[in-house]
Amino acid sequence: MRSITLSQAVNEAIAEEMRRDETVFLIGEDVAEAGTPFKVTSGLVEEFGTGRVIDTPIAEQGFMGLAVGAAMTGARPIVDLMFGDFLFLVMDQLCNQAAKTHYMSGGKLNVPLVLRTNLGATRRSAAQHSQSLHALVAHIPGLKVAMPSSAYEAKGLMKTAIRDDNPVVIFEDKLMYQDKAEVPEDEYLIPFGEAKVLREGRDVTLIGTSSMRQVCEAAAAMLEADGISAEVIDPRTISPLDEATILGSVKKTTRAIVVDEGHQNFGTTAEIAARISEKAFYHLDAPVIRMGAMDVPIPFSPALEDLTVPTAEKVAENARRLVAGELIHAL
Amino acid sequence: MPSEVKMPQLGMNQDSAVIVAWLKASGDKVTRGEPIFEVETDKATMEVEATSDGYLAGIRAEEGADIPVGDIIAMIVETADEVAEHASASVETTETSKSAEGEVEPEAKPEPEAAVTKTEETVPNESVETPAAAPRATSGPVLASPLAKRLAKERGVDLAALRASGLPEPIHAADLSRSVAGGQSQLSARVVADALAALLQRSQNADRTTLLAAFTAGAWRQVFDTVDVTIAIRGLDGATAQYPAPRDGETGTAAAISLVDLCDTRLQAYAPAGGGITISVGEGDSHFALTLSFNEASLPMPHAITLLDAIAARVEDPIRQLI
Repeated sequence: MRSITLSQAVNEAIAEEMRRDETVFLIGEDVAEAGTPFKVTSGLVEEFGTGRVIDTPIAEQGFMGLAVGAAMTGARPIVDLMFGDFLFLVMDQLCNQAAKTHYMSGGKLNVPLVLRTNLGATRRSAAQHSQSLHALVAHIPGLKVAMPSSAYEAKGLMKTAIRDDNPVVIFEDKLMYQDKAEVPEDEYLIPFGEAKVLREGRDVTLIGTSSMRQVCEAAAAMLEADGISAEVIDPRTISPLDEATILGSVKKTTRAIVVDEGHQNFGTTAEIAARISEKAFYHLDAPVIRMGAMDVPIPFSPALEDLTVPTAEKVAENARRLVAGELIHAL
Repeated sequence: MPSEVKMPQLGMNQDSAVIVAWLKASGDKVTRGEPIFEVETDKATMEVEATSDGYLAGIRAEEGADIPVGDIIAMIVETADEVAEHASASVETTETSKSAEGEVEPEAKPEPEAAVTKTEETVPNESVETPAAAPRATSGPVLASPLAKRLAKERGVDLAALRASGLPEPIHAADLSRSVAGGQSQLSARVVADALAALLQRSQNADRTTLLAAFTAGAWRQVFDTVDVTIAIRGLDGATAQYPAPRDGETGTAAAISLVDLCDTRLQAYAPAGGGITISVGEGDSHFALTLSFNEASLPMPHAITLLDAIAARVEDPIRQLI
């Protein structure tokens, strides 16, 4: 099978859906000729024209509000938010309008809108361009949140998102755009709320979102050398969350580490860990461990920035301690 | 309304704390939020504040005493007049208050003006006598994973006994499997039957199985230095009774050891494979055969030997039970 980059996979997904459905359009800063700073949308304006690939001024509230209105009246906008950190600028349009319109109109209106944006630190982009803010929107009922962990997931989830009749927020890891993965040429969709078990194991379940899936896979490889068998699960969408797969795995392995690049406090790791603790409590042989980004503004200093994100070494170390039955957080 | 002063819970796994010093004496006026005594847990020494305004009365816990969480250790009464009432009330309680009584009595009728100076005098004096750190608790909740706890419950394994046998906390599922899969050990003893047989013959009311249960309980209390122990008496028909019998309305507590009385049969010993601690008693020509079946993870061998020997001694010479 061919391998393509995550950037190409997203580009293909958008192009395929724009060809399939003429109500789909793309809007955002630098999406047309510049093809976004990450070159994800390059070539689309040539194929679909400036009427469907629309460059906007630097005015996130403006084009987000425009897209919500367009979605309510029959179009299927894909909003490109250059950095996930800019979510704060579109909160009302996204969380108060897009998320609630279907509910508050008694189902008469839909908002088939995709907000694609990114997350991820260690790009030396400093505190305002390095956050992973997916937990903020996953908190809001009415928003679905997808977190592709490879080119394959990026394409399948994007196509599903565009076809969804209500708002979906997709977070791509900005450090993964050049990462290649096998992506079929034939069309495929990835349903929301279906986690993927990437590796089966006996001793500990590692749950990793987005690029943390790779961190968990690397940790599992290290652990194998120590005779520890780790199961790796990528939830793929955190809202909806595939609880059944996660709980089934933890009931088997009796231990879990949840790894995510959002801040640990009140984060995605906390939510997943809490569900495991609630619903698989009597199967747990160790506390559920959360590993999120350090609870500090992401530093600009490379040396410091690297310390803020979970690494495969740290995941493996925690897994070893859990399996060894060390006293963790017990006193 | 007088309010109770209770030993507070100051830590997650803390079930008691030592009173380091009373910062207020009986009869002293206290205001809400004011420190009234100092406690020491296994982690830290902390001041405990009054939860209401009034006068401290009826102190029933001495400095240095290790008090279970939730126990009432004093009262805060609304008026100075009520102090005496509560002081005398505490004298009636039997255990800890006996020693506290000495302190409470002289201070039961305080001169209101003298109260402040008295506190200033007593605090430094008393803190000189501050006792050493609290002994590390071997009672209290066992640190074990939820899975280990569930498996222990399902298999009838006593986690506290596992801890007492030296298994380090926290206990995990694997520890449990190891100890249960480890198999049962056995010890046997042969005891001359004369004395017990004579006793049973003389006393028509004495029931042999109950006596054996009493011997087992007595030996257990002696060896493990505990006050209460429950014996499960397993009948030959499979029925189980408890010794001591649970009071009306009580469901009974988990048994530490099972007793199987085989004396009415030709059988000599019973050692179940399923775990737990079991003592079986068979009867031969003028002797009793005692067999203790146990798991060495939950009952280490030296303890098992002492226990069986203590039971055998009681069977051999029933008068021991009375001493």
